[in-house]
Amino acid sequence: MDDAPILDIRQVSKRFPGVRALHDVSFEVARGEIHALVGENGAGKSTLMKILSGVYPDYDGEVVFDGAPLALSSPRDAQHRGIAIIHQELNLIPELTVAENIFLGREPRTAAGLLDRERMNREARALLARLNLAVPPDRPVKWLRVGEQQLVEVAKALSLDARLLILDEPTSALSQAEIDRLFAVVAGLKADGVTMIYISHKFDEVFRLADRVTVLRDGECIGTLPITATDAAALIRMMVGRSLSDLYPKEDATVGDEALRVEHLQLVPDEGRGGRDLRDISFVVRRGEIVGVAGLMGAGRTELLETLYGARPPRQVRGKVVVAGRERRIASPREAIEAGLAFVTEDRKTQGLALALSVAHNMTLAALGRFLRFDIVRQAEEHAAVLGEIEQLRIKVPGVDAEVGKLSGGNQQKVVLAKCLLTRPKVLMLDEPTRGIDVGAKAEIYAIISHLAQQGSAILMASSELPELLAMCDRVLVLCEGRLMAELSRAEATPERIMEAATARQQARTA
Amino acid sequence: MDQAATTPERTTQDRLARLGSVLFRFRSLFGLLAIVALAAVLSPSRNGANVFLEPRNLLNIVRFASENGIIAVGMTLVILTAGIDLSVGAVLALCAVGAASFLMRYGWGTLPTILAVLVIGAIVGFVNGFVTTRFNVQSFITTLAMLGVARGIASLWAGGYAIPLAFGDGPGLAPQSFKSMFAGSVPILGVGVPAPVFYFVGVGVVATFLLRRTGFGRHVYAVGGNETAARLSGVAVDRVKIIVFVISGLLAGLAALLHAALVNQGSHIDGNGYELNAIAAVVIGGTSLNGGVGTVAGSMIGAITLSVLDNILGLRNIQSEYQAILKGVIIVLAVMVQRQRR
Repeated sequence: MDDAPILDIRQVSKRFPGVRALHDVSFEVARGEIHALVGENGAGKSTLMKILSGVYPDYDGEVVFDGAPLALSSPRDAQHRGIAIIHQELNLIPELTVAENIFLGREPRTAAGLLDRERMNREARALLARLNLAVPPDRPVKWLRVGEQQLVEVAKALSLDARLLILDEPTSALSQAEIDRLFAVVAGLKADGVTMIYISHKFDEVFRLADRVTVLRDGECIGTLPITATDAAALIRMMVGRSLSDLYPKEDATVGDEALRVEHLQLVPDEGRGGRDLRDISFVVRRGEIVGVAGLMGAGRTELLETLYGARPPRQVRGKVVVAGRERRIASPREAIEAGLAFVTEDRKTQGLALALSVAHNMTLAALGRFLRFDIVRQAEEHAAVLGEIEQLRIKVPGVDAEVGKLSGGNQQKVVLAKCLLTRPKVLMLDEPTRGIDVGAKAEIYAIISHLAQQGSAILMASSELPELLAMCDRVLVLCEGRLMAELSRAEATPERIMEAATARQQARTA
Repeated sequence: MDQAATTPERTTQDRLARLGSVLFRFRSLFGLLAIVALAAVLSPSRNGANVFLEPRNLLNIVRFASENGIIAVGMTLVILTAGIDLSVGAVLALCAVGAASFLMRYGWGTLPTILAVLVIGAIVGFVNGFVTTRFNVQSFITTLAMLGVARGIASLWAGGYAIPLAFGDGPGLAPQSFKSMFAGSVPILGVGVPAPVFYFVGVGVVATFLLRRTGFGRHVYAVGGNETAARLSGVAVDRVKIIVFVISGLLAGLAALLHAALVNQGSHIDGNGYELNAIAAVVIGGTSLNGGVGTVAGSMIGAITLSVLDNILGLRNIQSEYQAILKGVIIVLAVMVQRQRR
């Protein structure tokens, strides 16, 4: 193996008006290694990746790739040089087939100049086989699962003969099984000599895959270490520049009255449309309690919260819901809010925020009625409430009129949280409350949740991250295929018991 | 963009960026000023006076902007919710025929006629909104269909030809008060300000207030900004959409009253292509067709900009074909400026 690094980043800086995104960043990526890149949101990871993939052609400093200076003019240029990037948000065209996506812009042609579909499918099949992906190449991408789509992206990168593959948080939308499959592919690629830069917020992945890790903070390179020479606590310290004594600040709360009682809840999706059904789910959440909802992808976690919140058509829903002692028929989110429920959705960008609108207008949207007199907004009161939340939740914003879309992920999530809190909910429901945010913001969100419970809120929190559920919750409900399989107290809840309940039905079938 | 590394150093680059953002924010206004300045330079002069800059001419510009401007305000509300209303020109025709029929054929007075016409506009708007929301049809389709339906009804009602309006006080004549209400003028500081200008400005002020200060306005932006998020935040999305279509229809009705009074007739071919002029004004005014971003003031400026163009080209006796081409170029330029910024 060649000793010279495949990628040598030398004192790279990048400025935007008013923002220093990267400052004097230097590190090397060795040939054939998996190099993890970690850092909080806004640390400069994505800027650096955009430089490497040709999105930002202008920067200070020097990047040497494979022995020659890297002077890219466009993402296409980067592909020609053998650098491929797989983004967190997939860049496939849903209506096109797998093969068409793989060869997009480089379709093989026949002598007559027509599309050589046969060759395209044949070559695609070979690439997919290399990734152990048993999907017909002529199937539209929209019919594939997210994990399969991700592998199609990898196939696309392989077809470009990429020598450097950048994976930007590739697992954020994948189930455990899909993650395992992706990791097997990554290991295979490494064996084939492909160098990879792996960006992730998830330390378990970093420690499982990477050979070395580089930490960025505030646009500066904090250090590069062999993975064996460090641990999660040390990485967190490097990332946030302070030691996080406890990522999960669980406060003791007094458990009070019943805030939410659910009896025999059912969700029956419309005939022929598919979608997860819910069967006969009953549970209780008391004031001061944090109740977790665990389960594999597709177990019905999100469906449970959406059903309670009235986001599903009422005709599909049966069962009894009691909020703070009053039985409620909740047929719409509006009625849910009136009943005292609030819902922090899984995906803040598509379901939580209007990104082009201001922080203030997003924040008060759900509770706007409080600030209206004859439908006219009482701006002074609204302003005070917004400032109050910004202070309470320590949201970093340039101003209340700033566009929400320009905030970092963690701050966006806090705005969503503030929007829910302004409705003064009796029950706060959270779906993946820390998805896609960095470790510092995560700790802050946990602290907020914990504090809310301590002050007497009832909290129902669905998550795919077991450590988060184990650390935060007083009880954990485990779903499997739309059924409530177990209700575990804090003492009973272990990763093993949760996984056992979450896979109970699958095991019953195979047994 | 990455955000953490904010070291606020004042550099020339920053100052330029700041200037750029001010220019961008008021781009429609600067665009209008630039076109006005250009028009003043290009204007012919009569008796040593700049024809374009004569107060009477400037008022005419605003007057001719009024019909389109009023329609564009309604269109702005619809577009802010990420919808579109292609039926406004046809609604104008239907309402103009209605106005002429009520006044001339049925001998109605001014007030009943106004109310009836506005109700017709509002009903058409309600149907647009209801069909769009209840059956989940894109508003492009709903209002395209309505364009045909409204014009068809207008033609049947009118009997296939224009209904002339003769104003006077005798039987068989339309009341003079209608003419003066919608086509008269009010002397202010020695200049006769055309009545349509008051409706235009009034509609603009009310709509701006609605959007900026009321819960309804917030909901309009929220629905266009992210419909799912709005629904999950308890916004009655369908109701908001229906209301903006009702307002759009209502304002097309108001524009029809101005139009009928101005041209002294009501015809089923009135308002042909007005939907495109209104959309052009909205787009020039910086409102995004994706919804959630834009202002009424911008659309009003857009309508005036188009009117200035018509005016100066008319003063220079330039063929209407060139006018159409130039308008097209300006619209594309306006959109390009917005794209640049993203």
